[in-house]
Amino acid sequence: MKIFLILLATALCFLGSLFFGQAELGLGEVIAALTGSGSELNRQIIWELRLPRAALALFVGAGLGASGAALQGFTRNGLAAPGILGFSACAALGAVAALYFGLEQKWIAPAALIGAGLGSFFILSITGLKKGANVMILAGVGIGALATALTGLIMNLAPNPWALSEIAYWLMGSLQNAELNSLWVCAPLTLLGIILLWVIAGDLKTLSLGELTAQSLGVSIARVQFILIAGVALCIGSGVAVAGAIGFVGLFVPHIMRLIFGPDPEKLILRSAIAGAGFLLLADMANRALSGPGHQLYLGIVTSLIGVPFFLWLVIKEVRA
Amino acid sequence: MSLTAREISAGYGKADIIRDISVSAKPGHLIALIGPNGSGKSTLIKTLAGLLPLSSGDIQLGDQDLGDYTRREAAKKIAYLAQERRALPAMTPADILELGRAPFRGRLGKISAAGHDAIKSAVKAANIAPLMHRRFGELSGGEQARVLMARALSVDAPIILTDEPIAALDPYYQLVMMDILKAEAARGKVVIAALHDLALAYQFADRIWVMDQGQLAVDDVPHRALSEDILARVFKISAEFPAVSTSLIEI
Repeated sequence: MKIFLILLATALCFLGSLFFGQAELGLGEVIAALTGSGSELNRQIIWELRLPRAALALFVGAGLGASGAALQGFTRNGLAAPGILGFSACAALGAVAALYFGLEQKWIAPAALIGAGLGSFFILSITGLKKGANVMILAGVGIGALATALTGLIMNLAPNPWALSEIAYWLMGSLQNAELNSLWVCAPLTLLGIILLWVIAGDLKTLSLGELTAQSLGVSIARVQFILIAGVALCIGSGVAVAGAIGFVGLFVPHIMRLIFGPDPEKLILRSAIAGAGFLLLADMANRALSGPGHQLYLGIVTSLIGVPFFLWLVIKEVRA
Repeated sequence: MSLTAREISAGYGKADIIRDISVSAKPGHLIALIGPNGSGKSTLIKTLAGLLPLSSGDIQLGDQDLGDYTRREAAKKIAYLAQERRALPAMTPADILELGRAPFRGRLGKISAAGHDAIKSAVKAANIAPLMHRRFGELSGGEQARVLMARALSVDAPIILTDEPIAALDPYYQLVMMDILKAEAARGKVVIAALHDLALAYQFADRIWVMDQGQLAVDDVPHRALSEDILARVFKISAEFPAVSTSLIEI
């Protein structure tokens, strides 16, 4: 029952987000454009701008939510999230490097994917030495810190303020440049990533008994770790590639789902994906409602500003209970 | 199904912790694995469970090499109860026991009728029916130990390996846990338990393996394995068995 409510809320957010934007379209106009009638301009706004943007928010949010739930399940650590374990930072480094070297816009997404891939390769290489959650947390935090430091170096070396501000804005995350092409990059990769995470969901549940016990129940830690890192890299790499670094969704959405559905990591992956999608759609609507000509808000800032106070409230509530 | 190790050596890094151990455990036997701290008891249990790679020797499950089993097939034959009592605090014993059926689950994660039966008999054996829908984090140490023991039993494997199952339990729960292990052995299973309590090992075990500095010092029936000489040599204590036996009071 609860899962249907969350599905319904996410679906409503998706439809709702078609009404937000600079042109004010009413219910009739949106429906007309969706069904292929109405004015040419309205059809273009809906089909080429708003639908791709809503779909992107859906996939990016789903990838973030599923990744966070899987990482928290594997590490049995509520602080594990793609933003903390280095995945986002590595993808962002790739994109920032592309911006620094003045590559064309079309190369930014592949660069972010390469960054996420390389970061994952390094995390896997370190965890290959000794498998398990603790090593993965250390490796992820370390690689993430290195990527952040290198991003800082690139900003430091930026040739002019204009290049620096381009990088800074990009790092704040946004869906304003959403277009159909971005969707073709993001959607299949995110879907593949979520499927990979779903494949190991049962093993993550068994891992809640500890790594040795899980192994004694037939779980291969090396296999789970490899699929997990590949799945998260696909979700986060493709998300950062099209929307920049969007913080905090992967950390707090799984927490909320855990409060609602209980601690089972197997259930939490798909539920966090749905809720992550809904939350990012909501945040993007808030973003558009609050932005106007001349004062553009960035999505990553909005998600953090909504997410952090809520997260702190949850922490305080849990500590008191 | 018997469990036989032939000249096995194993460890965590380059150095072997246990060396050249040959042992055999028969169905129906409860074997107590004793030895001082650091003598290699946990390492031997993990190695026999197939959780540590062998650096030499081989382990036979029945008449087949353990190395020929896939991890999942081996998991159906050997149940392992870790020393560390770990589960998510918000999980219920019902959730935890289902995990014991993980090696048998199909793609859709459904538990078979045989699986439900195995869980039921594990609940009965460990006497945890009243705890099934409470949260693991709210249970006492003794209750948690019983729940995790039931989890190991729910695998319904012919071989049960437990690493210090009674550590940090009060005398009542120590006896409860030993009774459960003894009953499993009586059902025709191989049960091996690493223990620190020599009196309980003496009282419950059919056979005792004594570890000393990574090697098997003694493999014998309790009254010979716990002789004054061995206690002095391996444990560096002066003691004598039989001690006074203990049992549960019917309440």
